[in-house]
Amino acid sequence: MQNRAMKRRVRLNKLKTFFSKPQNIILLVLGIVLTVTTVAPIIAIAKDTITVHPGTIDANISGKTEGFTLANYVDLFTSRTAKTNLWTPLVNTLLLSTIACVVSIVFGGVFAFLITRTNLKFRKYLSSIFIFPYIMPQWTLAVVWKNLFYSNAVTHSANGLLASVFGITMPAWWCQGLFPSAMVLGLHYAPFAYILIGGIFRNMDANLEEAATILDTPRWKTMFRITLPMIKPAILSTVLLVFGSAMGSYPVPHYLNFETLSTKYISMNSSRTGEASILAIIMMVFGVAILLANQLTLKSRKSYTTVTGKSGQISRFNLGKSGKYVIGAILIVITFFTSIYPIISFAFETFLPNPGDYSFLYTGNIQNLTTKWWITSENVTENGMYGQQGMLYNKTIWHAYGGTLLVSVACALTAGIIGTLIGYAVSKNRRSKWANYVNNMAFLPYLMPSIAVGVAFFILFSNKYVNLFNTYWLLIIVGTVKYIPFASRASLNSMLQLSGEIEEAAIIQDIPWFKRMFRIIVPIQKSSIISGFMLPFMTCLRELSLFMLLCTQGYILSTTLDYFDEMGLYAFSSGINLILIVTILIFNTVVNKVTGASLDEGIGG
Amino acid sequence: MKKILAMMLALLMIAVAFAGCNGTKPGKEESAVQKIIKEAEGMTLEELAKKAIEESNGKNFYGVGNSSRGKSALPKFIDYLKTIEPSYELNFEWQQPKNNKIFDQLSADSLKDVGTFAVTLIQDGNQIESKMVKTGILDTFIPLDWAKANNTTADAYKGYLPLQTLNKVFEYNCTGSKTYTNCWDYVYEGEHGLFMDVDSEIVGKNFLYMLTNEKYAGYLKEAYEKLPEAKKAYFTPVIEAMKTDAKDLGLGENGCYGLAWIKLWVESYMAVEDDGPICNTLVQQSATDQFGLLVYSKLRSVEESDTVSKNNIKVAAYQDGYEGIGGYGYCHYMFVPDNSPLPWTACAFIAYITCTVDGFSAWGKDMGGYSSNPTVAAGTEEKYGHSKGGYNEAGENEFDCKNDRGYDWWVNNGKLVIEDPEYCASVAFTVGSWIEMLSKYKPTAE
Repeated sequence: MQNRAMKRRVRLNKLKTFFSKPQNIILLVLGIVLTVTTVAPIIAIAKDTITVHPGTIDANISGKTEGFTLANYVDLFTSRTAKTNLWTPLVNTLLLSTIACVVSIVFGGVFAFLITRTNLKFRKYLSSIFIFPYIMPQWTLAVVWKNLFYSNAVTHSANGLLASVFGITMPAWWCQGLFPSAMVLGLHYAPFAYILIGGIFRNMDANLEEAATILDTPRWKTMFRITLPMIKPAILSTVLLVFGSAMGSYPVPHYLNFETLSTKYISMNSSRTGEASILAIIMMVFGVAILLANQLTLKSRKSYTTVTGKSGQISRFNLGKSGKYVIGAILIVITFFTSIYPIISFAFETFLPNPGDYSFLYTGNIQNLTTKWWITSENVTENGMYGQQGMLYNKTIWHAYGGTLLVSVACALTAGIIGTLIGYAVSKNRRSKWANYVNNMAFLPYLMPSIAVGVAFFILFSNKYVNLFNTYWLLIIVGTVKYIPFASRASLNSMLQLSGEIEEAAIIQDIPWFKRMFRIIVPIQKSSIISGFMLPFMTCLRELSLFMLLCTQGYILSTTLDYFDEMGLYAFSSGINLILIVTILIFNTVVNKVTGASLDEGIGG
Repeated sequence: MKKILAMMLALLMIAVAFAGCNGTKPGKEESAVQKIIKEAEGMTLEELAKKAIEESNGKNFYGVGNSSRGKSALPKFIDYLKTIEPSYELNFEWQQPKNNKIFDQLSADSLKDVGTFAVTLIQDGNQIESKMVKTGILDTFIPLDWAKANNTTADAYKGYLPLQTLNKVFEYNCTGSKTYTNCWDYVYEGEHGLFMDVDSEIVGKNFLYMLTNEKYAGYLKEAYEKLPEAKKAYFTPVIEAMKTDAKDLGLGENGCYGLAWIKLWVESYMAVEDDGPICNTLVQQSATDQFGLLVYSKLRSVEESDTVSKNNIKVAAYQDGYEGIGGYGYCHYMFVPDNSPLPWTACAFIAYITCTVDGFSAWGKDMGGYSSNPTVAAGTEEKYGHSKGGYNEAGENEFDCKNDRGYDWWVNNGKLVIEDPEYCASVAFTVGSWIEMLSKYKPTAE
């Protein structure tokens, strides 16, 4: 009897000790919630691969109108169309994702190094401007690419700007296919690398590098043996984020005529619905594989601590008297084309009489410009307005703008808080299997193609019991689940850098958890944590694939933008792009003023 | 991780097992909406309007469609109901999903006892037939006045209710010297027509399916025979090579002409994401010698400037001596979802837009869309004069390409290929799979 009571007391004490640690409570609660929100869509997609869909190939092969069949697997992997529908898009997707990763890491990483670790000039300006490609919806960069490089001779279209103004005709591989798709995605995601790698560079104590210098270690050796290993978690996180995103990117390869799994997913969805879901599963499998590889690599090292209780300082490499200006100027030119030119192009587009009609540039005749896209206040169908009022009066656009702000702010706050907590709790329990499980569960939705997640949640929440279709609730739930990885990755990276002794000092002094978080941990890793809020916000502002099935076109700005793009009304879509960019800049400034840190200044300033 | 995967598999199996327990849809018993439709088919527009007022006053009405014009038609419908009951109010929302998602949206909505969407305007007869009608998701309502105008009755009429036929026509940039006088010219060596990718817009695939139909394959054969010998020599080996495939696919005698044209087209067309951008490209001065197959009505949105003009293009079928198919016609159909929350209002709306010129005006005010109701079609032409749409106020023929010659001309003289839902559904997985095997054109491959 006594023994049993003792055991019970021991168990109770163990439970008490377990729950006395906030990180354990966080992991338990979020583990359960995330399992439900992550597994449910996976099950829905997996089930779809074996479900008979009337009017599609599986119904045709199996002869059934309902029930289950393996026909989709058999047909996709073994039929005559396997090469067209599976293998070629698969190889293309892997190439695209890999090259996009390399471009974004090299471009973003080098940029981050130059901004944070050198005495480069114009740092503040360059840092602000660099994130612009990520602010803009990715397919608009593809549209800009087309407007620049297409030509009658090569792409059988009207001449783009380069061909018509300078008579330069770019080769086909430059205009369409793998190269432009990878470049556009690489440029679009380079700010990821910049934010994640730059965050570490900025916080990195230079003592180790200085020790190497004192020991007369060559610079390249210091870079490869000390600096790069320290930023390894950030590089791996960037690979994870970029690879997953590039793999699930639909609009860029679609606009630039490159066949990938995601474009195949869309094109097969009508007549080969179940097979399209298998493609989604394949994308997820690759995502999980990278996640596993990432985990194995991280396990092999003991610590990534870069921020300790000891004093630290950043030393800046000297680029030389002229070097700091020359490199700065080169970067200004490069960022002009990646960040400023698209904005000028968008603004210019809103004054053209017809989409892509650059008559003004050839003739200088002011009559070839118009303000109709902005100030038309009545409902007219002539002159290409398609019954739309000008942007300043267009209720659809402004209603969608309000909706977008609501969804983005809600998603950023919810995903940011949950992600930060996950990052904190996982870093505290690094060796725990449950912590790893929670971390992986939080990350899995990111590896699923957005469109597939949208479909899954649409099915989940459109039934006779719960009908959330076309409500902001649904968009916020889906957005939160999808964007937690941004915050959890940013938070985990920064928390892994944080030495335990900092919090331990506060624990010894019996300072409560909330106070420890808000007075010590959050202030130290402010820039990374704010990234965890700003990334979901920015992504949500122009998210399309995820939301396109869940609401109507006038509900949020991205679906409205896409609608206008589809109609060929580039003036409206360009105008919406401008609105989005201005909005993000305003938010960035406000956050900067209020908290003293921001997405770009936190790194570059 | 092994544990996670094991758990996921276990959950999947449980989910599948539960899913297997789902009840099937009830048999052939008439649904509540079908009963209402049956009753509504015997009513005049005014009688339907009264029923609609009774049912939906002050409520929300959701419509979903492939055309955005439903949004402009609904206020007119509300105004019409207000002439009967001035206090009538209706909040409405019209959705226009893209990328074929309308079918997913309607399928998911059909799972509910009472759906969200009251009415739908939908295209792609093939998918409608196999996914929406055979599954009982959508019901057809034939308005009394529409049936009368077409000399039929709701019981006798067996098809779906088309609101309008739209046409995609071959147009070419005429700033150079090149002309297109035969439909085989579009697939001749070195030609690359601008066309919405068949995987983006499935009605484009239906166009290809229809070319294997004996009637339209016959049109292709006739056009082929009128080609000069030099061009014939280019096409003959391809046509010969298609004979075995045509036989294997169970096509008729002229099927090889259809397959040859499809093969050469798929392997040469330049995919563009929408008809709007195709139109914007072709009307530019720099698009010399380019051509495309695009929605005719897109021409309405072109504004004249120093380098852009509607006179930079020509409609191929309007040119003297043109041989063969001039384009493709497909329908926008009207349906009532079988779980429509407002079936009476949906029927009244359908009757209003298919049986009155005002109701159809949301579509009828522009060229290139032809009402399926002959009375409305005539009224629309009288009101908007599309046959002289290119004339200016001084009575001069300023933009010839905008003079829409009308549905009958297009079908008889323009040899428009008209979508047949049943035929498309029957060849979707034979000819469809054959098309998937073809390599689409990529400029990089040259």
